[in-house]
Amino acid sequence: MRLLLRTLLSAAALVALARPASSEPVKLVKPEQYRARVVAAKKGRALLVNFWATWCDPCREEMPALVAAARGFSSKDLAVALVSTDTLKKTPEVQKFLASLRIPFVCWQAKSPDPQRFIDAVDTTWSGAVPYTLVYDRKGNLVARLAGPQTERSFGEAVRKALAPGS
Amino acid sequence: MRKLPALVVPSAAVLAALLAASAAPAADLKVGAPAPDFTLPSASDGKAVALKDLLAKSKAVAVVFVATKCPVSNAYNTRMAALGKEYAAKGIPLVGINSNKTEPAAEVKAHAEKHGFTFAVLKDEGNRIADAYGATKTPEVFVIDPKGNLIYHGRIDENQDDPQNVKSPDLRNALEAILSGRPVPTAETKAFGCTIKRV
Repeated sequence: MRLLLRTLLSAAALVALARPASSEPVKLVKPEQYRARVVAAKKGRALLVNFWATWCDPCREEMPALVAAARGFSSKDLAVALVSTDTLKKTPEVQKFLASLRIPFVCWQAKSPDPQRFIDAVDTTWSGAVPYTLVYDRKGNLVARLAGPQTERSFGEAVRKALAPGS
Repeated sequence: MRKLPALVVPSAAVLAALLAASAAPAADLKVGAPAPDFTLPSASDGKAVALKDLLAKSKAVAVVFVATKCPVSNAYNTRMAALGKEYAAKGIPLVGINSNKTEPAAEVKAHAEKHGFTFAVLKDEGNRIADAYGATKTPEVFVIDPKGNLIYHGRIDENQDDPQNVKSPDLRNALEAILSGRPVPTAETKAFGCTIKRV
């Protein structure tokens, strides 16, 4: 009986891993909160932060590649966060898009009356163009900047760099 | 995964060319530097418009990279139409450039007419001018003084959603400074918007 129960639980866990969870509600993040709420909260794991917007075709197109790349890593090693740069009136559209693809990542939405303040708080070298991806190592150090659309492979390579010993 | 027929597999040279076309522009035009001259056809009538001709009879020229389908650029259509009309009368013409490969001249013309643009929107086939300026987004503004130097680069303002609640009218501030002979207060801001569709 115990063996049967254990087998059923393992099977359920595998199914849960294979199928992404429904999207969580989008959370707002102010420029001054980015480091503490998005980056520092994930210390101990590598962190990939993908900046996107619903109006950005390449952002939406690369999302499945990001999901596929993340599946190649244990959740003990990698956390993924999305940050939408849509304006706040677009929150329902952000939520709808994430739900439609069953995106399994936490999604933040930039809350800043001036977008440049948010851009500079994230990365002063960032032009503000999306898609844009930052990868941090387990200590929260920035180790990769990926400008423009990426592939499953390029996402994966950046994460492996962040997880490399000594990184 | 579908296999491509052998005949259409691109050669290394073609791949390299494709990658170059999709890569970020090489230019990184700094404020104060000479802005590249250009002559491009107007999307509305095909007539050539030359930057140097406009500069010869203006106090400055505001070049705005625009799009027909980008929601961010479109959020500024009314503002661009108004700024174009207002500052052309004051001696600073606004010129639109559409560098998106995905938006043909006929579409650019129809879009300009629909939104009441009284300024010319030029078609930049092959995005040569976008590359020369290092323009990556729409809308993205470059203001050029009569000597041909870049004196403002960046956004129109910070509030794409609400034109009535703009707190930082950066382009207007730059143009007013030029008209009153003052240095542009903030000469570089970060434009935000859709990427220019180069491929």
